[in-house]
Amino acid sequence: MKKRLLIACAIGCALPAAAQKPVEYVEYDLPNGMHVILHQEPATPIVAVSVMYHVGSKNENPNRTGFAHFFEHLLFEGSANIKRAEYSELVEKNGGALNANTSNDRTYYYDLLPSNQLELGLWLESERLLHAKVDQTGVETQREVVKEEKRQRFDNQPYGTWMEKMFKLVYGNHPYSWTPIGSMDHLNAAQESDYVDFYRTFYVPSNAVLSIAGDINIEQTKKWIDKYFASIPTGQAINLYRDFENLSDDAFLAKYNVARSAFNANDFLNPKDPKAKALIKEYTAKKTVVQRPDAPITPINGVVRETVYDNIQLPAVFYGYQFPKETDKDFAALEMLNAVLSGGTSSRMNKNIVEKKQEAVAAFSFAFNMEGPGLGLVAGIAANGITVEQLEASLDEEIKRIQDELISVEEYEAIRNQMENQIVSSNSSVAGIAENLAQNYMYFGSTSLINRQMERYMSVTREDIQRVAKKYLTQNNRIILHYLPKQQ
Amino acid sequence: MKKWITYIALSATAVTGAYGQQIDRSVRPAAAKAPVINIKDSEVFKTSNGITVIVSENHKLPRVSFNLVMGGRPMMEGSKAGVNDLMGKLILSGTTSRTKDVLDKEVDYMGATLSANGNSIYLSCLTKHLDKALGIMQDVTMNPSFPESEFERIKKQEESNLLSAKSDPGTMGANAEKKINFGNHPYGDVMNETTLAAITRDDVMNSFKQSFTPQGSYLVIVGDITPAAAKQLAEQYFGKWTGTAPYTADPGSGTVKKGNRVIFVNKPGAVQSTISISFPIDMKPGDPNQLPLTVMNNILGGGNFGARLLVNLREDKGYTYGTTSDLNVLRDGSWVSASGDYRNEVTDSAIVQLLYEFERITNEYVTAEELTFAKSWMAGNFARSLESPQTVGRFALSIIQNGLPADYYKTYLQRLEAVDREAVLQMAQTYFKNGYNIIVVGNESVLDKIRQFDSDGVIEKLDAFGNPVKEMKQADITADQLIENYMYAVTQTTSQKAMAKKLKKLKSIEKKTEFDLGEQGGGMKLLMTDVFQAPVKEYMKMEAGGMTFQSSFYDGTKGASTSMQEGRKELTAEELEDKRKSAGMFPEMNYKVNNVTYELKGIENVNGKDLYVLYVKNGDSEQYDYFTTDTHLKVKTISITKEGETTIENSDFKDVDGFLFSHSTKIVMGPMAMDGKVTSITVNGKVDPALFK
Repeated sequence: MKKRLLIACAIGCALPAAAQKPVEYVEYDLPNGMHVILHQEPATPIVAVSVMYHVGSKNENPNRTGFAHFFEHLLFEGSANIKRAEYSELVEKNGGALNANTSNDRTYYYDLLPSNQLELGLWLESERLLHAKVDQTGVETQREVVKEEKRQRFDNQPYGTWMEKMFKLVYGNHPYSWTPIGSMDHLNAAQESDYVDFYRTFYVPSNAVLSIAGDINIEQTKKWIDKYFASIPTGQAINLYRDFENLSDDAFLAKYNVARSAFNANDFLNPKDPKAKALIKEYTAKKTVVQRPDAPITPINGVVRETVYDNIQLPAVFYGYQFPKETDKDFAALEMLNAVLSGGTSSRMNKNIVEKKQEAVAAFSFAFNMEGPGLGLVAGIAANGITVEQLEASLDEEIKRIQDELISVEEYEAIRNQMENQIVSSNSSVAGIAENLAQNYMYFGSTSLINRQMERYMSVTREDIQRVAKKYLTQNNRIILHYLPKQQ
Repeated sequence: MKKWITYIALSATAVTGAYGQQIDRSVRPAAAKAPVINIKDSEVFKTSNGITVIVSENHKLPRVSFNLVMGGRPMMEGSKAGVNDLMGKLILSGTTSRTKDVLDKEVDYMGATLSANGNSIYLSCLTKHLDKALGIMQDVTMNPSFPESEFERIKKQEESNLLSAKSDPGTMGANAEKKINFGNHPYGDVMNETTLAAITRDDVMNSFKQSFTPQGSYLVIVGDITPAAAKQLAEQYFGKWTGTAPYTADPGSGTVKKGNRVIFVNKPGAVQSTISISFPIDMKPGDPNQLPLTVMNNILGGGNFGARLLVNLREDKGYTYGTTSDLNVLRDGSWVSASGDYRNEVTDSAIVQLLYEFERITNEYVTAEELTFAKSWMAGNFARSLESPQTVGRFALSIIQNGLPADYYKTYLQRLEAVDREAVLQMAQTYFKNGYNIIVVGNESVLDKIRQFDSDGVIEKLDAFGNPVKEMKQADITADQLIENYMYAVTQTTSQKAMAKKLKKLKSIEKKTEFDLGEQGGGMKLLMTDVFQAPVKEYMKMEAGGMTFQSSFYDGTKGASTSMQEGRKELTAEELEDKRKSAGMFPEMNYKVNNVTYELKGIENVNGKDLYVLYVKNGDSEQYDYFTTDTHLKVKTISITKEGETTIENSDFKDVDGFLFSHSTKIVMGPMAMDGKVTSITVNGKVDPALFK
């Protein structure tokens, strides 16, 4: 037994990059433009039903920042067929869990259900997409809840405001310059028309990916998807339908010049009335258009410094750099660069700055994976008695070294092994698989990339890492944030 | 149905247009047939040296994890609180054959995870690296070296972490909760600057020896491995490990007090109050009440959107982003904690609502819908948790560790189903009684709002580490006036002139004090001799059983200390400078001219007596002197140096040749306390000049 194990190891160790066990899936588009991805995994009788909407904080009106995230909260409030507070109740009382999150680029909703409740999950998500309903009480309550979320996660946390400050400085006039939590004043100012417009613009089938993973029967799942999602009107007909449900007879007539009564609630898309029929045809053909801000970002000019006085005890330094998009060929190299700098206990920043010089309690580097221009972060929290200047000098030294010299062969092999472990582990739950599939499709336009992660990282060379260090860690053009203790 | 077939045919040809819409969306889909939930059995066996091995086989991913968990019980740490945590952080700091750098490199090279805490060592890696990774895990388990340099480094890092904790409301709240719920229990040990300073490398090594032993330990192996291979590897790598008997005393449960207490922890600048209502309960894992109590607690504040606390405080009132009631049932101590973050303005309203919900669930039956909801939600959580192979291993460990029936988790859903409304009400009435600890971490501006919730109207204030904060009144005199009054008191004079005259005549003082070391010290007596000679010479000697084991002197320009362990050490230039500023029989008189930092902090009430608190900083050392407000005598000194904190209490003031001297002294250093009686004081006696050499 022992011998066999040793041999197995010897072989394994000789081949650093094992092939990934592929994630199998089927994908297709519904006629209304919604993209569907299905992955079958029978090991546990559960299923993850998720919808990723291609809308994030970057799509917001600069006077309504925080709106995409606020809207995510509102979309748990119910629908034409689901009463307030009932949405989560339906999931939880059927043994499920649910949640959502919003980034700069997308909004993601998911339900984790026992596999026999798949149809319920599909119905719930289709209701959210087709005709969510929010009343004034819901708006007011969620506004307060979001404010509490901001206080809890950012304002009342030590260094909690760094992200807001850093994004603002790195991105200048780009819509990434505000973070998803946004401005509370903007949320206070939001009007009903803001909600309606946002929903009609971004919550349409062609702007969404339905991703399902778990113990499912693919054929049965497709039938249910047809029933609940393919039945959602195409193009602007979805908004025509929403108006049909929400406007008064007079308002509907005034807007469309066709009587609301010409439509039949039970068979909306097939009215008998010729004028109504023509309207359906016209609005079905009218495309939904989602603006995708892709303005180039203004390069950082020189070293921009800012000091923040916070309720903290230990000073901290945050560097911000302009990085490429996640889809850029250099992004994988940047992630491996970060692994060398701060990936494990033996990484350079931890070894040298935290352990040897003892100048920081934590030091790390990170690449934000964005659909648009990325953000690179190098940061440290000073040890007691260490100044921001001392810490800066050490952080700069590590950056200079990785720019001036190739990383060692040993470091290179280590980060490849780390990446391999990460990739193998990344698809360990159906919830994770559903999200990875959707994200690969949405950002990269290639679902199959989920199975090509290994080659993406393994093709990065030591020279690539040095090259991206020089190219993106621009020491003469960067943001430097200092956090210092507020005098109390 | 027919329409559907048509639709599918059309969509296949990708004709655009709108079809269908014939569904009735108001009909909620029914569940399909309930899936069967299987919990795989784990393989359990023992190694030759007594480790219980649990194997949960799962080949979905080419990964394996080994978790070595100790079976001993926690011990009280008291004045060395944090030693077990510190030890856990140091396990991976090197072995007898690997430096920390080598160890870190080897682990990172495989992309593996190796972590440790005061009670376990965990390894996770790709299957292909297993043999090599286990070799390292074996090494850290059997041969950790706790290098001095790493000990010093981690200690320094912990000092920084303790500083950070002072601005982190979550940590501050958790510390207060531990201290309040578990006053005289290992869970109530919270590390602070003083306890950290007191921990030595020997303490850490002893803690490891005491905690890490194969006897009674568990090795939980999960993932891509067969039981046969696991058995062979467990024996190969851990079968030769030896150790002492683990500590097995049950620490018991926490302390419940009558009436509600309000506990406040100040976080300057806070924009939210972090509120937790908590109390300890008497319950062990597997208690028949555990499941019904869990159902009850989940209806109250489980982590679902239907829980009463969330519906009321978030969905209805918008006071918080989230709030839950957590039930923690552990082998060594159990407690309930309902917590959340609320904006300052609604701090009192939030507590009102929290208490209202506590009250409601103990007074009324929950509704049938609520009960069904909670049970279904729990059943779903249970089913989902089985996706992770770690869960199965965890279940098997819990069964063995807590002596539960072998089918405990297999019957979980069945037992859950049997919980009824009567049981839920009974649980609330049994465990949720008054005696709630209402802990608020926040801005001082909320203090007046929360007093009403305390049963005796007195808010207890704790610092970031859960220790009582001393409240002070503004002093009615200045620091210089206090020092002057003190000198009048000691010299028993009432005018500057009289005092100066008396002091001028004072040439020397020799004081002998006898300390009884008590049982801790084996009944030994310690004799301390203090000699002062005007103007600034001083000498100190400590002897026991006729042997001098420590002495020190200062003659105005040089000085030294001599101890049995370290021999003679001359005072350094810095130490001499500090000494110069604080020398003399009454150093207070010279603070001003010597540029010593001193400040009268205020009046503190200690055990019913008002005392002035004088803060003194001289070089690296800090000192708090306490003077009574009526007699102005110095009754207590707390000095804080790099070595730790020392408290000296003086009482029994008696006249000796016109001066008032204390005749009874108590010294507290870390865990050690000594009571001393002054046996003689000689004023202006003959002093041997050889003492100052």
